[in-house]
Amino acid sequence: MADEKLTEVTRVPLWDPEQDDVLVCRQVRQETHDVKTFVFSGREPRAFRFYPGQYMTFELPVEGMVTRSYTISASAARPYRIEITVKRVPGGPGSNWLHDNMMPGKEVNVSGPGGEFTTDATAEEKLLFLSAGSGITPMMSMTRTACDLSEPSDLHFIHAARSPSDIIFRDELALLAAQNPSLKLAFTCETTSASHSWSGYTGRLNLQMLSLMSPDFLDRKIFCCGPALFMEGVRNMLQQAGFNMEKYYEESFDFGAETAGTLEEPASAAPEISDQIFRVSFSKTGHVVECGPGMTVLSAAREAGLLPLSSCQRGICGTCKSKLISGEVDMQHGGGIRQREIDQGKILICCSTPLSDIEVEI
Amino acid sequence: MRSPSDIQTLINRREKNKSLEAPFYNSPEILDLDIKAIFGKHWIFVAVDPELPEPGDCVTVEVGNASILILRGDDMEVRAFHNVCRHRGARLIDERATTIGNIVCRYHGWTYNEDGDLILAEHMGSGFDKSCHGLKTVHVRSIAGLIFICLAENAPADIDELARTMEPYIAPHDIANCKVAHSSELIEEGNWKLTMENNRECYHCEGNHPQLTVPLSEFGFGFSPDELDERRSSDVKKYLESVERDHQRWEACGLPSAEEEHLANVTGFRTMRLPLSWEGESHTLDTKVASKKLLGSFTDAKLGGLSFWTHPNSWHHFMSDHIVTFSVLPISPNRTLVRTTWLVHKDAIEGEDYSLDNLTQVWTMTNLQDAMLVRLAQLGSEQPAYEPGPYSTFTEPHVEAFCDWYIKRLQDHFAADQAAIAAQ
Repeated sequence: MADEKLTEVTRVPLWDPEQDDVLVCRQVRQETHDVKTFVFSGREPRAFRFYPGQYMTFELPVEGMVTRSYTISASAARPYRIEITVKRVPGGPGSNWLHDNMMPGKEVNVSGPGGEFTTDATAEEKLLFLSAGSGITPMMSMTRTACDLSEPSDLHFIHAARSPSDIIFRDELALLAAQNPSLKLAFTCETTSASHSWSGYTGRLNLQMLSLMSPDFLDRKIFCCGPALFMEGVRNMLQQAGFNMEKYYEESFDFGAETAGTLEEPASAAPEISDQIFRVSFSKTGHVVECGPGMTVLSAAREAGLLPLSSCQRGICGTCKSKLISGEVDMQHGGGIRQREIDQGKILICCSTPLSDIEVEI
Repeated sequence: MRSPSDIQTLINRREKNKSLEAPFYNSPEILDLDIKAIFGKHWIFVAVDPELPEPGDCVTVEVGNASILILRGDDMEVRAFHNVCRHRGARLIDERATTIGNIVCRYHGWTYNEDGDLILAEHMGSGFDKSCHGLKTVHVRSIAGLIFICLAENAPADIDELARTMEPYIAPHDIANCKVAHSSELIEEGNWKLTMENNRECYHCEGNHPQLTVPLSEFGFGFSPDELDERRSSDVKKYLESVERDHQRWEACGLPSAEEEHLANVTGFRTMRLPLSWEGESHTLDTKVASKKLLGSFTDAKLGGLSFWTHPNSWHHFMSDHIVTFSVLPISPNRTLVRTTWLVHKDAIEGEDYSLDNLTQVWTMTNLQDAMLVRLAQLGSEQPAYEPGPYSTFTEPHVEAFCDWYIKRLQDHFAADQAAIAAQ
């Protein structure tokens, strides 16, 4: 009676990348102001077999078609859903498309899982995770998996964020740490704002900080993930400290990009540098909102509670054409606006991200 | 109700050199036939290049029930489509003229690119084939800047002959570097054929067009030599001399001027560069140029008026300083839209290089006078006493040419229908 393709308990067939290639979006969660988690499953129930830290490659219908790889952020011990956690990137067509269009019921073509960046969650070893920005996603999958399967044996998890409100999975990590004494957390934020009290570390990660957060880091196996500049900084810091780099593993911020042959996030889009927040003013209604990196003017308007007319949300139809009164935007349109209209100061707000404070006639 | 066989009987018994029988001017069934067999199958003049100077500019035009969208693309080519969304048929562009990016149906957001391909149709599922739902195309052809469309599947090929003959005549006037100074839409209370017939003769000019006959000689369109008194004889002599002299001068400077008559073609047309009276420069009351900025590379203002007619629906006058085009579109059996467009050099500044009043006066007055005449002719065609009357062979040969062309085109239409039925 044993069928190798079915798991014993649920009798749900395994996802077979040779056979299966369509995921259906089941849920979208707003993690921070510019980060969302997208939850997928197969059209029919499927169990996914992946290692924590692996990614899947998505075909997204933007600019014709682009492929983008996103690390699975979910626990490998919860095999019936695939979750990815994506931060909006200025000028990143993939992440913007997902943020603006992916919603429950929508289908997407995928391949994978793939990738080598993983841990053995059951091994008895001292680990240190160092992540920055959305580089947290493989670490989160590893951490969740370890917590689901047993208890992490001895894990220090250090995450660098732009500001306290940019810490992805902050509450869940706190809960996991409360339930698993061998998981130690530490955060550092580059900037803190008066509106949030912050008692963690402030400033870019440095050796002094690292020694306080993880005093025995030299004895640990280190996994690092984040923007290229962050990882370069970590490598220099560890080498300077005499760390045995044979125990150092890293994944580019752009997970699986080399494998997938695409580059979603240009170096300039790394969270450390593109931390500017621009003011978007809507002249007719008087609303003013802050627009984070990569956020479109349309998203900013929605955040302000406005519902400007829009349709395709990818610069094709022109429904959201609006007058830009002042400031500069980066517009990646798809033919919904003519050069002469752009010359007259019109923009399509669905595919425009501010490059400065701007005022829009809405 | 007139049956097709009744209509065919009327067509077949039409007597040459006589006006058409009354139903041709007032029967709804014959208007329907005209829309189908004449306006649906032939090249019709609908717009000029300067109405859509830049990528994304579009104009719409109504031909019978059909609305056609004419769009200039990024490659500067002009394309024409039926103005109907392939989803549930909503009209795509509701304005007469506008500027668009892609072609978007505001109803459900279906979006077409400038080639008419459907590029966006949300919520249609993965099995939906967008490539089967592109916009229906319409033939479009720019003749040196005059835009003609044809709604037929197979457009008459002799548009090539028209293009070959006319482009040397029109090109020097450089429509591409003109702008629309003014346009008017006049609804004449008469059948479209009465509008066209009225245009194809100047028998009525002396008695009705005090403004037009200042620059334009009534004799440019024929006269009876037997009935000329002394004044008229001397006028005719002067006119004929001026034709010879001016044609020589114009031809020498590269402006084709001789009469070309191809009115029996499927795409029928005629042209001739006509001398103008007095100062001889333009269709204005003082016969001087209306615009100081001459067209193209002209340096001489005295270039007469190039007259260009097409069947079934246009006439045009090209002067050294401005151009006037006329497009005729039927609305109902007894109502016809005449759209007049005045073009000047694109750099000409209103109030400085030209005044709109002076530019448009002659043809605004002439159009109103013609509208009144067409209305009277229409009213007459509806009276019981109306019967087809004789055309003057001297002053109305072009009216006969128009009616002859029209009757022949209807005969061909029925012949093609019968051939199609026989083939089935």
